[in-house]
Amino acid sequence: MPKDRLRFAKEGRARYISHLDLMRTFQRAFVRADLPIKHTEGFNPHPFISIALPLSLGFSSQCELLEFGLLPGVEREEVPARLNAALPEGVRVLECYPGQRPIRELAWLDYAISLDLPRGGAALEAAWREALGRESWVVEKPSKKAKSGAVSLDIPKMVKSFTFTDDPEGTRTLRIVLAAQNPGLNPSVLVNALTAEFPDLLPDGVRYRRLEVLDSEGKVFR
Amino acid sequence: MTKELERILPLVQKPARYTGGEYRAVVKDKSEVTFRVAFCFPDTYEIGMSNLGMRILYGVMNAIPEVWCERVFAPWGDMEEQLRAHGIPLYGLESGDPIAGFDLIAFSVGYEMSYTNILNMLDLAGVPVRREDRGEDSPLVVAGGTCCYDPEPISDFIDVFSLGEGEEVTVEMIRLCQRAKAEGWSRARLLGALGQVPGLYVPSLVEVTYNDDGTLRALTPKHGVKLPVLKRIVSDLNASYFPTQTIVPSTEIVHDRVMLEVFRGCIRGCRFCQAGYAYRPVRAKDPQLLVEQGIAACKDSGYQEMTLSSLSTSDYRPLERLCDGLLDYCAPRDIGLSLPSLRADNFSMGLMRRLQATRKSGLTFAPEAGTQRLRDAINKNVTEEDLKQSCRVAFSGGWSSVKLYFMLGLPTETDEDVLGIADLAKKVLAWGREFGADQRRGIRVTVSTACFVPKPHTAFQWEAQVDRAEYMRRVTLLREHMRDRNITYNWHDPDTSFLEAVFARGDRRLGAVIQEAWRRGAKFDAWSEYFDMARWMETFADLGVDPRFYANRERGRDEVFPWEVTSVGVSRDFFARERERAYQAVITPDCRRQCSGCGANQFCPGGVCDA
Repeated sequence: MPKDRLRFAKEGRARYISHLDLMRTFQRAFVRADLPIKHTEGFNPHPFISIALPLSLGFSSQCELLEFGLLPGVEREEVPARLNAALPEGVRVLECYPGQRPIRELAWLDYAISLDLPRGGAALEAAWREALGRESWVVEKPSKKAKSGAVSLDIPKMVKSFTFTDDPEGTRTLRIVLAAQNPGLNPSVLVNALTAEFPDLLPDGVRYRRLEVLDSEGKVFR
Repeated sequence: MTKELERILPLVQKPARYTGGEYRAVVKDKSEVTFRVAFCFPDTYEIGMSNLGMRILYGVMNAIPEVWCERVFAPWGDMEEQLRAHGIPLYGLESGDPIAGFDLIAFSVGYEMSYTNILNMLDLAGVPVRREDRGEDSPLVVAGGTCCYDPEPISDFIDVFSLGEGEEVTVEMIRLCQRAKAEGWSRARLLGALGQVPGLYVPSLVEVTYNDDGTLRALTPKHGVKLPVLKRIVSDLNASYFPTQTIVPSTEIVHDRVMLEVFRGCIRGCRFCQAGYAYRPVRAKDPQLLVEQGIAACKDSGYQEMTLSSLSTSDYRPLERLCDGLLDYCAPRDIGLSLPSLRADNFSMGLMRRLQATRKSGLTFAPEAGTQRLRDAINKNVTEEDLKQSCRVAFSGGWSSVKLYFMLGLPTETDEDVLGIADLAKKVLAWGREFGADQRRGIRVTVSTACFVPKPHTAFQWEAQVDRAEYMRRVTLLREHMRDRNITYNWHDPDTSFLEAVFARGDRRLGAVIQEAWRRGAKFDAWSEYFDMARWMETFADLGVDPRFYANRERGRDEVFPWEVTSVGVSRDFFARERERAYQAVITPDCRRQCSGCGANQFCPGGVCDA
């Protein structure tokens, strides 16, 4: 299938565009940018676009990957600028390159989780550090696919590494590398588990940002 | 985007409706803008963004460099709850700024059942809902759209109504408001000046008095205002602004496609149809220009679908040429072309082939009535032979399902007319079997009926609506005579039609009812999730207002009508003549065959319409 790949950022107001709507947005943006792309075959052909590891609604990211197939006649170097002129505010193509490695080799995701802690966050940090450092910590996550309606996740096994930074103005950032797929750990599931475990230590607000996609060795994936 | 908004957006359904930032949304530098407009649509984002008028006026207003027009839609209940709980006032999608600080709040009002949403949006914005409670610093609240041809039911809440097509008068209104702002005019002085602008109706400048029987005694203008206020039109559509560069929503909306307006007006003169009278005279656009605009809009939006928009699209003389021109571009690019408004009497083979070139959807015809006598009475000049011919074309061309729309409760309707619908549906089914291209495929006929709502500025503006019990009796009668498993019968809810009939021809006394129903929780009355008939009926009863007075009463021949503060340019005498002809079941030829002297030629240079 198609071998071209985009890395793009999704930020600001665009964070609230759902995965399906984002696919439609890109399909139209390719038309607006007059960039012909490969179509699926079959009875009802449509432009082939695949976005790896759908981002949760409300998250920002600087490392979203989109696969597609450029038709002959356009240079890859032109693609980011032409698409960016055709995309809504907050969606920004950073690079276009030939995709070499299969998406299944994408193993880890590096996140920044910003926590609003206007009354100080030392206690929360200490508690969360303790939980993340446990040998094993199994939480139940509701699942539509599982027969029982829930799946068990052993959280420490899905965390590769983490650090806390104390930012100005009552914000602390948890920088954490989480399993990407099969199964992956959504950082909001992690935060929900942590706030359920420590109900008196609640941040006022939480923001999530994907910083980087990594392979199984923790190296940058492209 | 504020942190408060960031916190509530993950908690609501489809948050992309509340963020703005779409492709082609207009964002201006606040320091270069001196006049802010909140353009409000009293329904959801998905409905409002599908409205072509909204898109046109958004473009017109934002074309003025120092004016910034932003969009505002009614937040769904979950979002409203969050906005109220967190004290976030209603904001413009483009800037996120509270609209209470804007200069102008403008509503597009196309449906009576959205009235309560107007109040709810003003309240969410923190603007007093009643115009008399607004201070010197409050934004001016204006309304336009087809509902404003009877502005009276909502005249307690609206400072200024804009009648007819807004491309020109909106700019004139803004210019006057800018001048008032620069020169520090009082609100009263500005309203007085706006009342002198052709096409603008200022309800505070008109006094209404009543007779003992509840009918209107007089509409008395003050401060030199002239009544009725005549609607405005755009004379030359070819020269008028059309949005080829328009917002492409980032989330799915109802009409998610290029909308190409082919012409305005209608030559037909169906006696029940307000749009047919209110959009007169007919003004067509040049087909070559339309092809250029259609292609430009496809390129700029990236949409894979285009629809032609107008009343009775098949009456556009160069329609086949237009379709060919568009299909030259659309077909090789897999862009679907659809024509939503076709008449059963001129759906041609040539047209069908052109539509088939792209995608095939169901076909809908609207005979409106079941017998020729009643179709003649309402001047829907479609014969059974026309319908047969259209069905033959459609079925032999491969369509296998046809939808038929009718109204029940039309003036002069008898049980024979009701049963005529069943007969017609069965005939269509039989034609399907006779002409169907693929005999193995079943033929489906869907019949829909709605309860007739008499509208102002029509030949039937005097008529009573049949009551609920009578409508349901006719529904049952029809259903019992149309039991065939290949015919599906849907009927519309008569409660909604009843309230539509009340508000469509209501007067100022309904303002109190709307406000009280809203206070008791009414909103999104067009949505079954929210609509509560009992609440409305209790409110009417508690306020001592009889809704049947408005819906189910036949008006006297010379009665003063509340909507006569406005004029669509068609004379009351003409409507009265048309009503007489309806009772005689005599048709009036369409405007191309013969001018019937309706009065709308006053808009045309030289007094001749280009029908």
